[in-house]
Amino acid sequence: MSQVLFRVDERLIHGQVVVGWGRRLDPKQIIVVSDSISHEPNEQDIYRTGLPASIEAVFWSLDEAIEGLSTVLSSGQSVIVLTEDLETMLSLANGGVPIAEVNVGGLYADQGRTRLLPYVWFGAEDERQLCELEALGVRVIAQDLPTAPPVRLRERVG
Amino acid sequence: MTGRCGVVVAHGRLGEGLLSALTRVAGTQENLWAVSNDDLDSESLVAEIESLLAERTAGREAILFSDLDGGSCSQACRRLLASDSVRAVFYGVNLPLLIEFVFLQDLPFDEFCEALLEKSRGALGVHS
Repeated sequence: MSQVLFRVDERLIHGQVVVGWGRRLDPKQIIVVSDSISHEPNEQDIYRTGLPASIEAVFWSLDEAIEGLSTVLSSGQSVIVLTEDLETMLSLANGGVPIAEVNVGGLYADQGRTRLLPYVWFGAEDERQLCELEALGVRVIAQDLPTAPPVRLRERVG
Repeated sequence: MTGRCGVVVAHGRLGEGLLSALTRVAGTQENLWAVSNDDLDSESLVAEIESLLAERTAGREAILFSDLDGGSCSQACRRLLASDSVRAVFYGVNLPLLIEFVFLQDLPFDEFCEALLEKSRGALGVHS
């Protein structure tokens, strides 16, 4: 069965995504949505290193993703869509990408952020974006690995 | 109970460290444990692994992973192999090897050994 994982993780493509989620979902593609990395071939090479041959990594700007994701999602193939922050995920949702659930896998310490979970730090902006996503009907859950229990983040903030 | 279980037998805190790293990328494992040779002579190390296996394998096939072939951990593992309490000893254990154990542990034995070696060897290289 095809599955689509929308994940917010500052580390983007890394061990948990490739091994933990990759082995579970067997995605054909990992799509990184980042305006900056879509223009940085060297960074893309670093992220591609060590990926199994069965997974293709692509790096799209936000606009490219809003345009291209509908084709990918209707193809029925399993895919992982990664962003570095909730803001980009919210922009995808506002741009019309049908997202039922967002998986938060890694947001780390930064100015104004406090720790909600070992791998999730949240600030006022994150909280606002979380609320907006939930208001659009998107469930936002934290779950670093498929074997870990999911946590509904709106129950941890405020 | 079917399936396999494994013990990483290594110097210092390498075994527990590898399992800690494995947990981060592949989740908590119920059938992998670590034994250190710290403060143990040859006989005590064999006894330590044996008692852990007796307590936890529950009829499953036991696989050992040692760090350095020829070292005392590997020697203890081979003594257990000779006594038929374990099915195989992989030496030169690394994180990629353990990741493959997690995902390929249900393969038939020969295929299992070949796949683990191929994947973990392929994971060693240099960027320069």
